[in-house]
Amino acid sequence: MTARQWSVLLAVALLAVIAGVLVGAVNISWQGIGGALTGNDVGEAALIRHLRIPRVLLAFLVGGALSVAGASLQALVRNPLADPYLVGLSGGAGLGAVLAIALHVGGPWAVPLAAFAGSLGAVAIVYRLSVVAGRRLDPHILLLGGVVVGAFAGSLMSAVITLASAAELRSAILWLLGGFGMASWPAVAVFATYAVIPLALLLGSARGLDLLTLGEENAQHLGADVEVLKRRVYLSVAALTGAAVAVSGIIGFVGLVVPHVMRRWGGPLHRQLLPAAFLAGGAFLVLSDLLARSLFRPLELPVGVVTALIGVPVFALQLRKSLR
Amino acid sequence: MPIVAVDDAGDTVRLAAPATRIVSLIPATTELLFALGLGGQVVGRTTWCDYPAAASQVPNLGDGLQPNLEAIVAARPDLVVLYNSLQNVAAAARLRAQQIPTVLVNTDRLVDVPRLARLLAPLGGRAEAGDSLARQFELELDRAAVPGTGPRQAVLILAWDQPPIVIGAGSFLSELVSRAGARNAFDDLAAASAPVSLEAIASRAIDAVLVLGDSVPAFARRAEWQSVEAVRAHRFVYVPAALFSRPSPRSAAALRVLAAALRAGPRP
Repeated sequence: MTARQWSVLLAVALLAVIAGVLVGAVNISWQGIGGALTGNDVGEAALIRHLRIPRVLLAFLVGGALSVAGASLQALVRNPLADPYLVGLSGGAGLGAVLAIALHVGGPWAVPLAAFAGSLGAVAIVYRLSVVAGRRLDPHILLLGGVVVGAFAGSLMSAVITLASAAELRSAILWLLGGFGMASWPAVAVFATYAVIPLALLLGSARGLDLLTLGEENAQHLGADVEVLKRRVYLSVAALTGAAVAVSGIIGFVGLVVPHVMRRWGGPLHRQLLPAAFLAGGAFLVLSDLLARSLFRPLELPVGVVTALIGVPVFALQLRKSLR
Repeated sequence: MPIVAVDDAGDTVRLAAPATRIVSLIPATTELLFALGLGGQVVGRTTWCDYPAAASQVPNLGDGLQPNLEAIVAARPDLVVLYNSLQNVAAAARLRAQQIPTVLVNTDRLVDVPRLARLLAPLGGRAEAGDSLARQFELELDRAAVPGTGPRQAVLILAWDQPPIVIGAGSFLSELVSRAGARNAFDDLAAASAPVSLEAIASRAIDAVLVLGDSVPAFARRAEWQSVEAVRAHRFVYVPAALFSRPSPRSAAALRVLAAALRAGPRP
């Protein structure tokens, strides 16, 4: 990627964040923003400080994390269709969340923690299935195992939703659609702190991911410790995605579409692709959330609906272009 | 002389004689049938039909959201009462094809209580009970109403907190709040309930938060809800959930309880 492309990307990310803070369910004034920045804690300023800004930041972090996870996973399984949710995570997370809702587990963090536990449980099963003969991590089994474990968890989830009572059923379905309604400073802080390690591990694996796209044997010949690399990448992707599900539910298409677009735009080298995907994914999710909360205000659309409505046409256009 | 009624889907239902075996798959109509003195004729109900206590003696035919047709037919009803929803229209067509008279009704507003009393009572052969219940209900509701003088306090009614779903003007809860002399903070939304941004809640003036229950709701401890002044300050008005679960003949009593709670003001 050229310096000019980086400046465009940074500008887009910055503008998305600014737009995200300026536009929302409630119209705000410049005085309000000034107040929020200078520590004013009443009325409009408080709303910006405690609702709007953490929401925008969380959307940016989650969008970035999902895009980096998607780009890495696509290299790991050498399949451009891989979505971070495909490795069984979404089903596991959904099952955890729905169980917590149906069993009335108390406490403000019950649902996110249950979702996180559920996604880690699904990851553990898929991982166990994929490490054949105790040694190699087979990327194909990773994908297939992810699909079947996800489907199994999804069926259990549907059973729980059917057996739970009506009000809970509705809230569970809405929770699964995803969104940033529960964004708060503690959520931003927890996610940001937590995401540093898997993000750093993936960035550090950038050269290994480049080699992996040449095939495992070639990568091995070129000096990559392929088995360690694959495990590190898979577990980092799972950890990132699980945390994203925990704070925002299941938001599709970000981790699939953004890496595609950035690969075509900035080239396939992961040392550049991963940071670029982080910025672009963050901007994309911030703007999607902006539309979700302001299109029909005060009503709010699930953000996953917006990412799909934008992501699918973009993805289709990319497919057409790549066929030419 | 056949009994003829037009249900809320616009279909005409004809009974050769008053129904003696009624399946009621809506908690509101089950309660209403018992109030009309038709409880002895009810042979099927939903899991959620919890009032009056005698209703629990009636066989439970499921959650009522997706009617179990086999269970309904097995109860050998001569009248089935279903909620007027899209999937129930298909269920009603199949029941009618088996010569089982079926009515589809809406039970969302206070006005539905007297209206359905007058619709259902004749089908069970107690037309005069329907009339008297309806008149009594309307009278009691009028008596319990608090005329709004001066500015009305704005009351937030939440259907769910994560994601936030508020009660809109289409719900009987909104009607109860306005008859109690206050107003629903989201009465500009026509729907019975709608998912809204937390920002929208935080930016509205809210004098009290209605809590169906008797303890501080769990969401009041969540970080993002601290932006809603009324939640942070625990301006909660508590009312017993059981009285407010559906529009019913007890809604006049619910209105009295609500008006008293609003008059007493929030208790932290």
